[in-house]
Amino acid sequence: MLWYKSWMETRWRFLIGLAMLTCSACVVVFLYPQMAKLIPLASTLEAKGVLGREIREAGELARDYRGYVWGQWYRQNLPQLGTLFAALLGTGGLLSESSGRGMLFTLSLPASRKRLLGFRAAVGLAEFLVLAFVPSLFIPLLSPAVGETYGLGNVLIHSACQSIAGAVFFSLAFLLSTMFHDLWRPLLITLSLAAALALFEQVFRILSPYNIFRVMSAEVYFRTGQLPWLGLLTCAVASAAMLYGATISIARHDF
Amino acid sequence: MIDRFIIETDKLRKDYGGVEALRGLNLQVPAGSICGFLGRNGAGKTTAIKVLLGMARPTSGQARVFGLAADRPEASVEIRRRTGFVSDDKDLYDYMTVEGMIRFTAAFFPRWRADLEERYRRQFPLPADRKVKALSHGMRTKLALLLALCRGAELLVLDEPTSGLDPAMTEQVLQALVAHVASEEMTVFFSSHQIAEVDQIADHVAIIDRGRTLVAGALDDLRENFRRIQLVFDGEAPQPRFQAPGVERVRREGRVLTVLSSAGVDPILKEARELNPVSVDVVPVTLREIFLESVRVED
Repeated sequence: MLWYKSWMETRWRFLIGLAMLTCSACVVVFLYPQMAKLIPLASTLEAKGVLGREIREAGELARDYRGYVWGQWYRQNLPQLGTLFAALLGTGGLLSESSGRGMLFTLSLPASRKRLLGFRAAVGLAEFLVLAFVPSLFIPLLSPAVGETYGLGNVLIHSACQSIAGAVFFSLAFLLSTMFHDLWRPLLITLSLAAALALFEQVFRILSPYNIFRVMSAEVYFRTGQLPWLGLLTCAVASAAMLYGATISIARHDF
Repeated sequence: MIDRFIIETDKLRKDYGGVEALRGLNLQVPAGSICGFLGRNGAGKTTAIKVLLGMARPTSGQARVFGLAADRPEASVEIRRRTGFVSDDKDLYDYMTVEGMIRFTAAFFPRWRADLEERYRRQFPLPADRKVKALSHGMRTKLALLLALCRGAELLVLDEPTSGLDPAMTEQVLQALVAHVASEEMTVFFSSHQIAEVDQIADHVAIIDRGRTLVAGALDDLRENFRRIQLVFDGEAPQPRFQAPGVERVRREGRVLTVLSSAGVDPILKEARELNPVSVDVVPVTLREIFLESVRVED
């Protein structure tokens, strides 16, 4: 029943995330015809700096549908919203329940703290996995409506990369939630770190081939067809280490 | 340590960042007893309960429940499997319904008593589909009690079970508790600062203050052994130093000298008569007086 408790605690965050990401995926598909009309204009723009580079690159990517979907969805919308909801799903748990809201009741159950935490992590990660895969499935499903097709294989690979790399933010928020009694500090610290990494990726593109957001978008796969194994492995190890850290932290905690 | 004690602590200490919540607490709760755990606010009652249930780790000393070390995680799970607990805040999940809360809890206890669940659902009419957050304090207490009583537990640990309840509801809860213990073989350990309710249902008592045990034992023994000796003198009462054992407190007010004894009165009376009082009265003391005198000594 611990899975049920975790589900009850996170279901609204999950359902809101699912609705937002699904809407976002649908919008990406249905905006393609309008975007395709703007492609010739992109090359005539004379904007300089990061913005100019972004516009030109978006124009280049949108020349074919696969590039457009990758640029808009897998490089932009999904990592941004995915990171937000990974952090949201990772926050909470025993400490934030606080006395009077179920914490002592939970601790009085014949379940070890490791088990309590394990179920919370498993449910949160499962929800995050759904957020990474399900909205993306609407892209191949809806693409024929705009006269395009999109391969299911692409969806699976990009979503897998999204979920493995995004799990780092989930795990970080999860770890921080075993250190702070409120919901806000784990969330703010995680999102601030994500924002700093995103900024680093924008400013120092050449220096950041293994930036987490590049692993999330599976840019290497999009451009070369190779999976970012090293990045994925690093993310998986970092996530596992943080989840393990969370179990140590909660085991030492006095309530 | 002997198995006939369900709960035993030995020189139990617990510091929270330099604040000493428990300072060498010694407790012994016999199997089958209803033990009232009395103390003022902040005396260390809740901390002791948290240590016993593995929610907080002791700084030093020992805490054993069912003979199992409460600070060992595996043993602690086993202790909680055999224990029903109601916290001071009546901690429950606000987002669950009454029915959901019962089904959720039942899933953790293989010895869940469906017969008792039925009985208490009749006795405490609780709206099954109402969310816990919408329950009144009284209903919340009844639900918390139902969840603790139906676990098939050998030990009930209740932290201020009647706090915030009106007298009628308090009486109903206490009666339910007494009836439950009468029909089931179990030990009850309940903390309170309501002396009257401890007096009403407990057969053992432990009085603590500032993290230490002051008085402990069977309530009948305490009532038997504790006596107030009142000596009245012609003039100002003297300031004697009694040598007899069991002198807990001596209070001098004008012509009256009051001695609280905890171990028989004869040796004290012998010494007292040498002071030539005009009158000597020996009166039994209530639990309330024992409690107040004990914690006053600490002050």
